[in-house]
Amino acid sequence: MDVWSYIWAGMLAVFAGPEALAVFDIGISITLVMVIFGFLLGIVVGAIPGLGGPTAMAIALPILISVFGFAPDALLPVMGCLIGIMKGATIGGAVPAILFNTPGTPDSYMTTLDGYPMAQRGQAKKALRIAHFSSASGDTFSDVVLIVCAPFLALLVEAHLDLPEKTALLILSLSFVAAAVGGSVGKGLIATGLGLLAASVGTGEDFYPRLSLGAAALNRGFPIATSVLGVLIVGGVFHQMTQIAADRMRQSVPTPIPQETNGRLTWADRRALMPVIARSAVIGTVIGALPGIGSTLAASIGYTTAKARYAMRKGIPEFGQGAPQGVAATEAANSSVSGANMIPVLSLGIPGNTAAVFLILAAESIGGFAPGPSVFRFTTDSVNPELVIAFGLFTCMFVANLLNWTIGGIFMRSLGFLVRVPKQRLLPVVLVVTLTAVYVQDPRMEVIWFTLGFGVLGFGMRLVSMSPLPFVIAFILGGRLEDSARQAFAATGGDPWFLLTHPLAAAFVALSVLIVFIGVRSGRA
Amino acid sequence: MTSILSSLCMAAALAAAAATANASDWIPPGPIKMLIGFHAGGGADTQARFIAEELEKRHGWAVIPKQVTGKGGLNLAAALKSAPADGTVIGIAVTETFGYNMAAAPNAGMTPTDFTGLTTTAGFQMGVVSLREKGWSTIEDAFAEAEGGAQLRFGVMSPRLADIAYLLGKANGVAFNIVEVRGGRAVLDGVNAGDLDLGFMAGIQSNGVAAGDLVNLASALSEPLKQTPEAPTFADLGMSFNSDGQFVFVAPAGLPGDVQKALASAISDVVSDPETEAGQLIAKAFGGPVVVTGDALQAQMAADYVAARELLLAASQ
Repeated sequence: MDVWSYIWAGMLAVFAGPEALAVFDIGISITLVMVIFGFLLGIVVGAIPGLGGPTAMAIALPILISVFGFAPDALLPVMGCLIGIMKGATIGGAVPAILFNTPGTPDSYMTTLDGYPMAQRGQAKKALRIAHFSSASGDTFSDVVLIVCAPFLALLVEAHLDLPEKTALLILSLSFVAAAVGGSVGKGLIATGLGLLAASVGTGEDFYPRLSLGAAALNRGFPIATSVLGVLIVGGVFHQMTQIAADRMRQSVPTPIPQETNGRLTWADRRALMPVIARSAVIGTVIGALPGIGSTLAASIGYTTAKARYAMRKGIPEFGQGAPQGVAATEAANSSVSGANMIPVLSLGIPGNTAAVFLILAAESIGGFAPGPSVFRFTTDSVNPELVIAFGLFTCMFVANLLNWTIGGIFMRSLGFLVRVPKQRLLPVVLVVTLTAVYVQDPRMEVIWFTLGFGVLGFGMRLVSMSPLPFVIAFILGGRLEDSARQAFAATGGDPWFLLTHPLAAAFVALSVLIVFIGVRSGRA
Repeated sequence: MTSILSSLCMAAALAAAAATANASDWIPPGPIKMLIGFHAGGGADTQARFIAEELEKRHGWAVIPKQVTGKGGLNLAAALKSAPADGTVIGIAVTETFGYNMAAAPNAGMTPTDFTGLTTTAGFQMGVVSLREKGWSTIEDAFAEAEGGAQLRFGVMSPRLADIAYLLGKANGVAFNIVEVRGGRAVLDGVNAGDLDLGFMAGIQSNGVAAGDLVNLASALSEPLKQTPEAPTFADLGMSFNSDGQFVFVAPAGLPGDVQKALASAISDVVSDPETEAGQLIAKAFGGPVVVTGDALQAQMAADYVAARELLLAASQ
């Protein structure tokens, strides 16, 4: 098969896969239906403060696997739905940010700075249209970069990196995540270390169940779903519950502000916004491609860059006072992360942010698709099914993108009422659904205790302002790091210095140390 | 060895025929939990799930597949050992789990006598494989390159195969850098990427060999490979050990004889039927069904356990 045949096969896998329903005798595939469903669900959860894309992905994943099973043809519907949620949540988060000064997702916090002042001036509809237009533009740009870059990066890695270099690359990724996520390098390193420790329990090549302390329940290690959902979701729920208890006296239900009926965005408006959108899209894409730093930082940098650029311009409101450029800069930056963060996932198997963690989790749970450099092997004499799935995923991303341009705007503008959904009722539901979903996937009572235990850990990490993301990424990469190091050691004839005797590996290790060093220095400064 | 296998297969076929009537008579006391000792999505897992679906279709049993992976099947064996011996919990692993892996892990406290063998389903077309572009036509060429000073990386997917690769090198005066990876797919990927020079592959190489990209350098079995019968067997290379083995369904020890026969005949009927999805997959990926049941299977599991101790002893010297 040549490259075009693979692209075509990927598109066919999405559009001509198993049929879910027919409209006017035209069959619509189950994957397409799941992308649409995921996208609309993503906008809804994005518009509910306190939920957000990762929570929805976490809850949806086990349910989707229960419905679609473990067969390889489940991959595209399940991952398509998750991609839809990921993209939908980003634009959904802007709705309460603009209408009620309450960010639906953390990455839409900067949207409140100018979006809400616009709403106070009666321009909420226009602000929502700007958010949507910027978001869809950034998303499209990012997807194009993904499709162009991911295969080349994968081929480059496969062609030039040997086992010692691959081990060093994993160490570099973990160092980067530890140093870049959260405010403190020390806390990042502790979270990474804890993740590697948890990943070591019950695993390894030896037949003896390592670090199990003689407990039969630990012989099989911690299932990946218990640690990821426990630390990210259950820990988050515990933390938010305590915050609600603290804020109860101060909580008030936001009231809508009267709005102009005409909130049209003219072509002239769009043209005027294009430079700021383009700049933020590039910023978001570059940041999205780096592991560990996600859409919230992209939004902040996109906003501050635009603010610096437009500070002296006359004829537009000041940033923070309702500048359309402020909304556009934030939304273009945070939306352009979603495509680019798939670059390290698909080409290296390294998850860059929380949403990518769930895509890796889906691939690992279902099987038949192991994200990494081997996916992009363009075999000509036989079909590489993983490559077909990769192009199927690209197709799903473009379908979600198309939905963003078409129905996304109309749908998001109708969801202002969701800000009234009370968190104190929502969070227990999220907790119960998460625990049920974990149990359904692996029906043992131990998994509930593991999940709650990791939840307590996640809660504790939040209490001391330690980001749980390095823990989760280290847990996912821990097994690969160990395998890769063992293999490199064996392949080099038992050379214990293999990380230092191979120049590129040594350069990666030096870079890892440098990143941590710079992080510590800048933290002190 | 070939004649022994043929006798075993014939005995198994007779046993299966005698037991056929029992499969339709037996009614499980509840849903059957099918533990799968392989990671989701691979050929082995797909085979198990196809069998589960076909058993439901043919007999109306509720069969619930469940992944219990890790430790070379010992996690599955531990879960199975403590399960009720009434036919409601069965597991699929490889014979290596009940032979080498149990012998190598005495602390696990399990031997083949703790289990009732139900039936094997398929063997492995295990070859030693390299890329065609290496320029090797048999493993003797690889030996020659290693003797010339090249450090060759040999990919294996289990400790047993690592021992066999070590002894293969030792018997032929060369030392390989033996790299253990997770599963045959990882060996194939490693060989394709150039991370490994050669490695064991248990059937996954068939498309690449047919296309001319890969070469079966040797058969790691006691008999020639079906796809490359001219490749030397390990016995030809001075090895007294080989990688013979099969996928095997097992239940806890103490399973009543009628339940054992019912389950064994039901499963062997599915895998032997070329019209079923399981039968087609086995024919395509694993070289066709290999069905050994009843006492013959129990004897084979016990013999593997003894042979594994010999392998461990030889590899430790």
